[in-house]
Amino acid sequence: MTPVPPPPMTVSLLSDGLVRLRWTAGLTVTGELARDAVAAVDQVCAGQPRPMLVDMAATAAVTREARVVFGQKSSASAIALLGKSAVDRVIANFVLGVSAVPVPTRFFTSEPAAVVWLQQAGDAAGA
Amino acid sequence: MQRGPEDSRLDRLVDLVVQIASGDLSARLQPSPAGDSIDGVIVGVNMLAEELHVSYSDLERRVAERTAQLEQAQQELHRMALTDALTGLANRTLLNDRIEQALTRTRRGAAPPTLVLLDLDGFKSINDRRGHAVGDAVLVAVAQRLQKVARETDTVARVGGDEFAVLILDTTPDDALKIAERALRALRPPIQDGDQVSSVGASIGVRFGSLNQTAHELLRDADTAMYAAKARGRNNVQIFAPAMHTAALSRKSVAQELRSALHTNQLTLHYQPLVELTSGRIIGVEALARWQHPHRGAVPPGEFVPLAEETGLMGDLGNRVILTAVQELATWNARLVLPAAFRVHVNTSPVQFQEGDLTGTVRRAMQQHDVSASRLVLEMTETGLTSLDAAGARTLADLRAAGVALALDGFGAGCSSIGQLRRLAVDTVKVDRSLMENLEVDHQHRHLVQAIVQLVDALGLTAVAVGVENGGQATQLRGLGCKLAQGYYFSRPVPADQMLELLRADQSRHVLPRDDAAGHHLHTAQP
Repeated sequence: MTPVPPPPMTVSLLSDGLVRLRWTAGLTVTGELARDAVAAVDQVCAGQPRPMLVDMAATAAVTREARVVFGQKSSASAIALLGKSAVDRVIANFVLGVSAVPVPTRFFTSEPAAVVWLQQAGDAAGA
Repeated sequence: MQRGPEDSRLDRLVDLVVQIASGDLSARLQPSPAGDSIDGVIVGVNMLAEELHVSYSDLERRVAERTAQLEQAQQELHRMALTDALTGLANRTLLNDRIEQALTRTRRGAAPPTLVLLDLDGFKSINDRRGHAVGDAVLVAVAQRLQKVARETDTVARVGGDEFAVLILDTTPDDALKIAERALRALRPPIQDGDQVSSVGASIGVRFGSLNQTAHELLRDADTAMYAAKARGRNNVQIFAPAMHTAALSRKSVAQELRSALHTNQLTLHYQPLVELTSGRIIGVEALARWQHPHRGAVPPGEFVPLAEETGLMGDLGNRVILTAVQELATWNARLVLPAAFRVHVNTSPVQFQEGDLTGTVRRAMQQHDVSASRLVLEMTETGLTSLDAAGARTLADLRAAGVALALDGFGAGCSSIGQLRRLAVDTVKVDRSLMENLEVDHQHRHLVQAIVQLVDALGLTAVAVGVENGGQATQLRGLGCKLAQGYYFSRPVPADQMLELLRADQSRHVLPRDDAAGHHLHTAQP
């Protein structure tokens, strides 16, 4: 019996009002996956803009098409990209530097620091 | 960072960079699960390659788009360069190309083409009187009608202002001629554009092509045939014949000679007196241009005046006549002191009013010779007067304001209108010579002339009977109340010096008739 592959991402609403998007490790984020993720985030937010924590640790790559999707406005009012490795840093900075992001976006290696920044960014945005 | 001997990622990274550098932007390297700095560089190079790939593809797409736009613009320019913007027909350049192609096919055994050249009759007057918008609508309608007459394989072109052409391929001369005749018929029905109805006709020249003929020859011959159609009274089709070419060459050479004659003493004026029927006194003269050609002798005005009109020399010829007439009038006046009412009549053509500076010419002539403008009468036909465009009408108004008088020439010759007579600002009406025939024998005709004379009189104008050839006519005219007359009965047109003698005799004797030394006769209308 073939094992069921894990879902490429999970999206959840945290108790402190943040949305968490977690990518499965080793994944190449394509345009299609990016669109699915944005739709899932929009669904969770239900029309309310919210700060979003993206756990991208161990993501293998992000295609250009996916980066274009991330460049479009979604329900996220601010985005913290959370990674660990040099690969995560490179990918995150391509997202930040090459694409024009519509909301405040930063890369973090520390989750608490990311959460603090997101909450501040959320307060600033009135979320 | 530690790198074990089995770790080949840096070598594979070098290979990746070499592959990308060689132009393969799709090359990628899978990072290891370690996610360390080397993997960071691998992912970075992968993503840069992708960026580069996308940028290049985008650039190529844009270049392809721009190239397509340029090609489209070039095609549009090409189309515009070869078609007439107003009618959408082929223009002269495209027609020439098509003729060249047709003649090349002829040399390979195809049937020779036929070229039909059409010049619209009456178009200029539509343009002048009703404006360019109506004129343009007429040209578009003509283009559509010609396209319906021609076949798919033929080329319909607009080759000039009101000149069109149809190049007919792969057909017999008989069938080509039928197309030309159909074109003539197609243009006959009036053209309706909104509430404007216009009528035009066409003078059509046809040239059947032949082997070893050039495009230039085909066009030239069709043009010659078209002029022959015009000369035959318009609205007809003429097939080119070599004799037409000889005639055209001769006209061309005569036109050149006329041009030089204008600057030499070959052109002179003769004068015919206008006589008061009751007293026999000369009250004015009409100046008539004469061309004494050094080899051909006297060239009739009926030959060189139309030629001057066709070849654009009418302005120069007309100016020359006015200057000479005023100068000679001044000479007579210096010798004899002419009566204040004595006037010199000069024939004019609409083109003189519409182009050049007729008012300036008249003013300068008057000033230079110290002659009053009221001594000059410009004569023009009814057709000429009614065809004057806005510029011509302004010139006429300026001259009238300066004191120059206007005479309507040839009244009663064609479809003269009494209404027009009232509208046209003329002082004198010259009753056409055709009305002088049968004046003595046909009493109904006499009534007609009497009615015209009375009408002219009732309008406060002066009637001059023209073409009076005998005493009987003069007597009848006097009886009908006509005051002034002109014709061979009184005197043939004579050179200026002889006219001076006639005037001298007129002044000294007041009694006519008399025979002068040159054999010219001047009669009173006394029976």
